[in-house]
Amino acid sequence: MGEFLGMFQGLASGFDIAFTLTNLTFALIGAVLGTMVGILPGLGPSATISLLLPLSFKIGSPVTSIIMMAGIFYGAMYGGSTTSILVNIPGEAASVVTCIDGYQMALKGRAGPALGIAAIGSFIAGTIGVLGLTFVAPPLAEFALKFGPPEYFSLTLFGLLMATLLGGGSILKGLIMVVLGLLLGSVGLDPISGAIRFTWGLHMLQEGIDFVTLAMGMFGVGEIFYNLEKVLKTELVTRKVTHLWPTLKDWADSKWAVIRGSFIGFFIGILPGGGAVISSLVSYAVEKRVSKSPEEFGKGAIQGVAGPESANNAAASASFIPLLTLGIPGNAAIAMIFAALLIQGVQPGPFLITEKPEIFWGVVASMYIGNVMLLILNLPMVGLWVQLLRVPYSILAPIVVLFCCVGVYSIRNTVFDIYVMGIFGVIGYILRKVDLEPGPMILAFVLGPILERAIRQALLISAGSPLIFFTRPISGALMGVLILFIVLQVFFNIRQKKKKMNP
Amino acid sequence: MLKKMLVGIVLGSFLLLPMLAGAQEKYPTKAIELVVPFAAGGSTDVLARLVAKYAPKYFDKPLVVVNKPGGGGITGTEGVVRSKPDGYSLFIGYGSGHDLVTPHFQKMPYDPFKDLLPVCRLSIHSIVMIIRGDAPYKTMKELVEWGKKKPQVTASVSTKAGSVDITFQAVGKATGLKMVTVPFRGGAESVTAIVGGQTDCGGNHPSEVISHIKAKRLIPIAVALENRDPAIPDVPTFKELGYNVVAVGSVKGVAAPKGTPPEVIRYLAERFKKVCDDQEFVKSMKDIGQPVMYQNPQEFGKFLKEGFDQYGKMIKEFNIKLE
Repeated sequence: MGEFLGMFQGLASGFDIAFTLTNLTFALIGAVLGTMVGILPGLGPSATISLLLPLSFKIGSPVTSIIMMAGIFYGAMYGGSTTSILVNIPGEAASVVTCIDGYQMALKGRAGPALGIAAIGSFIAGTIGVLGLTFVAPPLAEFALKFGPPEYFSLTLFGLLMATLLGGGSILKGLIMVVLGLLLGSVGLDPISGAIRFTWGLHMLQEGIDFVTLAMGMFGVGEIFYNLEKVLKTELVTRKVTHLWPTLKDWADSKWAVIRGSFIGFFIGILPGGGAVISSLVSYAVEKRVSKSPEEFGKGAIQGVAGPESANNAAASASFIPLLTLGIPGNAAIAMIFAALLIQGVQPGPFLITEKPEIFWGVVASMYIGNVMLLILNLPMVGLWVQLLRVPYSILAPIVVLFCCVGVYSIRNTVFDIYVMGIFGVIGYILRKVDLEPGPMILAFVLGPILERAIRQALLISAGSPLIFFTRPISGALMGVLILFIVLQVFFNIRQKKKKMNP
Repeated sequence: MLKKMLVGIVLGSFLLLPMLAGAQEKYPTKAIELVVPFAAGGSTDVLARLVAKYAPKYFDKPLVVVNKPGGGGITGTEGVVRSKPDGYSLFIGYGSGHDLVTPHFQKMPYDPFKDLLPVCRLSIHSIVMIIRGDAPYKTMKELVEWGKKKPQVTASVSTKAGSVDITFQAVGKATGLKMVTVPFRGGAESVTAIVGGQTDCGGNHPSEVISHIKAKRLIPIAVALENRDPAIPDVPTFKELGYNVVAVGSVKGVAAPKGTPPEVIRYLAERFKKVCDDQEFVKSMKDIGQPVMYQNPQEFGKFLKEGFDQYGKMIKEFNIKLE
């Protein structure tokens, strides 16, 4: 009980810090910048934070600069869905799933409700995430540490299975795309033996193909190539807009998806590396399974936007837990915040909460405020974004391509990546022509390397025995769920076929 | 009034004249780029940004940190090698894995020794052996005793065939343990693995583990340097413990492209020395586990060559191959 009281006192002192004019201003700057870089394809939160690092020394106070950087990070999660929905370009890996139903909604003239529900869902999930960060951070961080290579293998295998079933079409097509994604993901240094694979002697490919480059090529540029031939024949369907805001029915349809997504995102998001991606996938799969009309998924189901968008926002808040309680940065953007703290002489880790409570609680409190700011910022923007769809395609398309090029260039400051994006644009176009869904491929591309590393690390640790995946409790439980899932899926399929044969 | 102005102009132009004449040769006339060939947020990046933070006190123009990650450091370094040798584009992190270790395994697009001029050494990231705070062994001796009864001892390392991996092969040989190195994707992930108890021990640079050492989650048991690491002075070297394991670790220095004028190198070495003598800078560096260990261009060049040969010998001895 005393501990609980301490938390409230801490949080109250945190609000004192967060509500000063300077900190409020910088939280707002962070939220605005974050939303902007989330929307601009390619320019991600980590690149923005690294650009702003020198400024953060000028600010002087570590709390203020971290409040701003945190705002950029979770603000980008709000903005990330915008391009997925409007132009089918996922800004980051965790928004790939949003493209599937979000873009379909936009094609049906429901871009407004999709954007609206993404913003509201993000707000609820972000707040749930921060509540979790406030009250259960330390024990959960300990739990996350229990995730070693075998657990990551089982979890990622689960994610990959979800990716296969994602397309909604045939499982065979999903499998083709997953295998293609795994192949692309294996370009670069072999993580365990150090050998160089499929780089054709190009040093630029040694660290693999960059996710953003691939995603913008396959989704964004590919989509534009594909639309170019359509535009000649007919006007694009995206021009018509029915509703600007989600209706009451939309809200009723998606409220549970938001809640479920928030919890899924929070718990999986704590895991360093890949947590946000897997959580968005799991959320999508869960929504499809519990839905009364799963056939709607892939054709513009609002739950398919609400769930994953909530999940990736909750995951963003949760990823602060390992940083603030253990000093472990879980992803690139968090690693930047970690570096910024170090340079200012603050060591994130188990002592942060006792030695520098003003930083811990100040940042946590600012996240509550930041989420409210983001909601207020993003809702009116929905109308603006929907207006964007009225821009003639002949003007919009080149602008999108331009932004993609700038974004891709900004990641590593090389032109090479722009060529790579162009090549994937062509591949994306061809895939669309033959009616293959790029979603599962991109997800397999992200998950494949995690899976490969995990299985080989686990087998090194166990001296070659695959039993390690079943004897460790968490991994064993995950494997159990996985097997149950496959058995049930096969069982349902057989029953459905039987029904069809003798009605 | 007019007279006053006239005098002012004349005086002013006299003052300006030498400045204008000198502008052509006086280096530096614009900001100097410090190219970090790794991603922002890593240890080399933090070092570069700390240097840039203290530089304005001692340099005539600001230092600007630019991250050019890719190819394990090769891409960004190649960019500096191919840039104009005028002292405005410098490579920070000279002496990292892609300079001392990678050339033993693969063909490089440039010669890390002939195409780069050493400016100075700033720090060394030594390799320290760590175990979990609650492990059944607390010292090197206990670990060896424990490990002898086991079929294998696992060690988390940052990358395959990196300096840490090679050093741990040497640890295996010197101790007689069957050391199995488990490569992770970079230092941060390998630290998470050892903190989580996934492996029996691990090898890391002090900057990556110093907060966990303070929190007693991890115990450092031996350092692979010739002498003790100033960042963690209480930790004995392998040599002190009777095991012949010595590696230079990952060296962090500054380099300029071949052909850079000697007076520019001299200016840079001198000014970096002043930064390294700044007590506040020294303290900030120690706090993050990166001890300041300055060397001038000549000493640094010699030191790097020795480090390069040392890794070459180890790679040959343990027959490490990438396949």
